[in-house]
Amino acid sequence: MDHDETYLLLLLSDSNLPTGSFVASSGFESYIKHGFGAGDSHKTTVFMRDSIGAYARNALPFVSDAHRIVECFRHREKEIDVRDCLQKLTDLDELYDAITLNHVTKRASKSQGVALLTLYSKGFSYPPASSPPGLYLDEETQKKIAVDTKTAMLVTKYKSLVRAETASGNLPICWGILTCALGLSLERSQYLHIFLHARSLLSASVRLNEIGPYNSQQVLLHLSRPIIEAEVSRCKDLRTGIGFDTETLENFDETLHGPANTWPLGEILAARHDQQHSRIFNS
Amino acid sequence: MTTSSSIAKIPSGGGRIALSTHGGKAWFSELSATYPLKLLSPRISDDVAIVYALTYGGGLVAGDCIHLSVKVECGAKLVLLSQGSTKVFKTRLQQRLSSVQRSLDDTPMGTPSQSQITLQKMDFTISSNGALFLLPDPVTCFRSASYNQIQTFHIAKDTSLVLLDWVTSGRKSLGETWVFSRYYSVNEVVVEGKRIAKDVMLLEDDASESSLSRRLAEKLDPFSCYATLILRGSLVEKTIASLTARYQNISVMQQRIVEDILWSISPIGSDNDGVVIRVAGKETEDVKCWLSEALSPLEDIVGVDVYRMAFHLSYRLCMRANSEN
Repeated sequence: MDHDETYLLLLLSDSNLPTGSFVASSGFESYIKHGFGAGDSHKTTVFMRDSIGAYARNALPFVSDAHRIVECFRHREKEIDVRDCLQKLTDLDELYDAITLNHVTKRASKSQGVALLTLYSKGFSYPPASSPPGLYLDEETQKKIAVDTKTAMLVTKYKSLVRAETASGNLPICWGILTCALGLSLERSQYLHIFLHARSLLSASVRLNEIGPYNSQQVLLHLSRPIIEAEVSRCKDLRTGIGFDTETLENFDETLHGPANTWPLGEILAARHDQQHSRIFNS
Repeated sequence: MTTSSSIAKIPSGGGRIALSTHGGKAWFSELSATYPLKLLSPRISDDVAIVYALTYGGGLVAGDCIHLSVKVECGAKLVLLSQGSTKVFKTRLQQRLSSVQRSLDDTPMGTPSQSQITLQKMDFTISSNGALFLLPDPVTCFRSASYNQIQTFHIAKDTSLVLLDWVTSGRKSLGETWVFSRYYSVNEVVVEGKRIAKDVMLLEDDASESSLSRRLAEKLDPFSCYATLILRGSLVEKTIASLTARYQNISVMQQRIVEDILWSISPIGSDNDGVVIRVAGKETEDVKCWLSEALSPLEDIVGVDVYRMAFHLSYRLCMRANSEN
């Protein structure tokens, strides 16, 4: 991992980023309210295991393909059609919509997705004064700026498609776009995405008064880590089937390597979130 | 009714149903199947036709491949049922060998090779104003069984659809609780070329791979039956409205023990694309009763007798279950 990547990881794991994840419990609040794990002091870690497993299986194929589509756009020497790239991302978003049939999860996914695109355009793009005229920049830097500018334009266009409701702007797709636009490798992007899912579950658990803040850090350091690693390694090669060339598509067996909902119980509980008499989270 | 002139063209396990209407009466322009699939149509009442899809021996074994293709023409209504739970027997061929192969291939998803998987594929094309009521009994996978079910629905904007897909934890009498090796089910609904839903469920007991994942039985506890129900179209508009209203009245206070039945309803896509309902129950019978009560307005559409056949109804039981939910 080079210094650029380390810096990006530090930046993206800042819990102050306005990504909207702090209002999501990913079904944990509903899980507790429905009496699951009643009296069990380990219910946070039990839920975390099942939730991470289910989320990785469903979302990582979309993170990966969105990242690959943008990567292809960034590094292809010849001019590749912006519209083609936008279309593939829109298709990916549409498939995620069709697969995510639970309205509460979908709502959370869309609000966090658009927050990430906004974060990129308002917070992570180059400030206007970063390359004042006359300043000497070596060739490599100039090239990097050119690629980043081209990508920023793509992200801005995608964001306007989301604003116009032509594209849905789901979280895994937007995460793939954002991390690739910043230059984070696919492997790091997948890992960080699942890490952030785990961390936001733990912070939800603290807010729900299930575990204390010290315990939360302890869980994140010692218990979450092997789970995140196992689930990322299990799901890192999964794909969606969108954005493939014909040859890759022929070898793609979606029953083995496609996204799937592996935890129907979590799905029902997440969808019942709004049925709680009182609640503190949005999902 | 199980044979037809075109039977020779159908590969083993294949079947075709084509339903049309003539003068307000439904009739089969095709109804044929080959071993081990069997199609029976006990009767037709006016515009509603019933077909039972059965397999010889009452179940499917490893490597069986069922491929049923169904066409419902304009204005026709088809009720497609199974007779008893679809039983999937265990994968027989060298389990050990495949696990060695798996580690050699270094594939992340541990699954038996394709030849050992039981496949049930159903393609439905339902024309304008047609209706499909797919109300099978639940799938029951035996210990170590591996099952793929792929269902695709190509429908028109004004098609009515009732799609039920459910799975049980196994043979409870033998102490089997979620111990099959894999259950994979896809339901894809395409309305005039636009995919509005693709529900993919994968239940896999993969605890052998690492001690970090929990066993399937732990993840799905305390329920032993999960159902997915997709409803869409004018014939089920009232059912959707009443279930939605019922759902909106649910107000969950802190529970101390988990209820016997949990269900949810979510709208699909944009306005009037239908809903998806999910139901989990501690007992399969509880889920069956919940479903038969929830879908009871269908009695007026398909007829009381047909409706009772679909759910093998014993009303007394259901009254009890539903008074609590």
